[in-house]
Amino acid sequence: MTEPTDIPPIDDDQALAGELALRVLSPAEEAAARAREAAEPAFAAHVEAWNEQLAGLAEEIAPVEPSAWVWPRVEAGLAPPVAANDNSVVFWRRWAIGSTGLLAASLAAVVMLMAQPGPEPVTPAAPAAPTAVTRVATLTLESGAAAMTLAYDPATGELYLAPTDAMAGDVRVPHLWLVMPEGGVQLVGAIDGSAISRHSLGQTLSGPAGQANAVAVSMEAPGHTPAPNKPDGPVVAQGELQRL
Amino acid sequence: MSAILTRDELAQALGRTGQGDRAAFRRVYEATSAKLLGVTLRILADRQLAEDVLQDTYLTVWRKAESFDPSRASPITWLVTIARNRAIDRLRSGAAMRNATPIDDAFTVADEGPTPAQSAEAGDDVRRLNDCLGQLDDRTGGAIRTAFLEGVTYDALAARENVPLGTMKSWIRRGLMRLRTCLDT
Repeated sequence: MTEPTDIPPIDDDQALAGELALRVLSPAEEAAARAREAAEPAFAAHVEAWNEQLAGLAEEIAPVEPSAWVWPRVEAGLAPPVAANDNSVVFWRRWAIGSTGLLAASLAAVVMLMAQPGPEPVTPAAPAAPTAVTRVATLTLESGAAAMTLAYDPATGELYLAPTDAMAGDVRVPHLWLVMPEGGVQLVGAIDGSAISRHSLGQTLSGPAGQANAVAVSMEAPGHTPAPNKPDGPVVAQGELQRL
Repeated sequence: MSAILTRDELAQALGRTGQGDRAAFRRVYEATSAKLLGVTLRILADRQLAEDVLQDTYLTVWRKAESFDPSRASPITWLVTIARNRAIDRLRSGAAMRNATPIDDAFTVADEGPTPAQSAEAGDDVRRLNDCLGQLDDRTGGAIRTAFLEGVTYDALAARENVPLGTMKSWIRRGLMRLRTCLDT
């Protein structure tokens, strides 16, 4: 080797962690490095240290005051504080404690449902994009506890819901919402909070459902249907839609 | 709009945000949103996109604040990292490509170091980072700075500097190793 001696030897993990933090890797390399970050705590610690140190480079960036509309949109996307209603605090705590371990069971139920033929022929399937990929989401309470598992097949418009058992005790009616990437929400409808269900989304909803990046559940008064773009009751659970 | 919070105050507000305290979250937003918009705007070069990503960023902050650990990260670098990664994800999703900064402009902009006044205000960590970056040769330090500020990959950096991809990788990897050694001593 003809390298000058003051060049430190390349520690591959350290260098890769730095490259990942810096985000210079190609998409394929980055995906591989992200997988290592998720699987190896030592490597993840290297990445975290690089993030911490490289972030100092942002010091030279001049601040830019955001437009006034940004904060209201941030705020609109937050789940309302559960503490607004004492009864609901108790209820959701009970749910959070009771639901441990139920997620695995509900995931299994979703897989079973998807493997079975529907109870009736699926009415005109939504136009299937060739790249349609099943979306899944785990909706969690603000405490992080699992509330419901959801799967959506954009090719057929079929939606499967597997709630944990805790919503069964609530007199309010859970409503499912799509959270759209450009902001705003779209009502899907009232759902059964106590049992697994399957639905076929019509054409009006299958488009938004294919684009949504998250789903949420609000609790509405019995007999009340909220406006299609705004829940009236508290949003109690939400989850990101992942491509399966 | 921009309230000045000390590092400890910001860490505390972020901790309360993690417990669902909206007033604390609002303080975090007011103290940091201009900084984070600067970060996303630098990467996306389009105000509308940058503000969309800013909105996303704070929703992520709200959800992840619980995992913020003040013993392991400073609050502002934790926030900057989330904003920067979100902006880069958006940049690479293609939505921003039509508005991206022309290749020729960006390198010169990014090459400026911090002004002396900014350095004086900066914390010890930042001063140290800049000292260590200053010990690298100019093109390596410049490439690392550009990669951070513009969120570009090796491919784009190599094209900008008109060097083979392998050369750019080697500059940056060696530069990172030197930085690591310098920062650890």
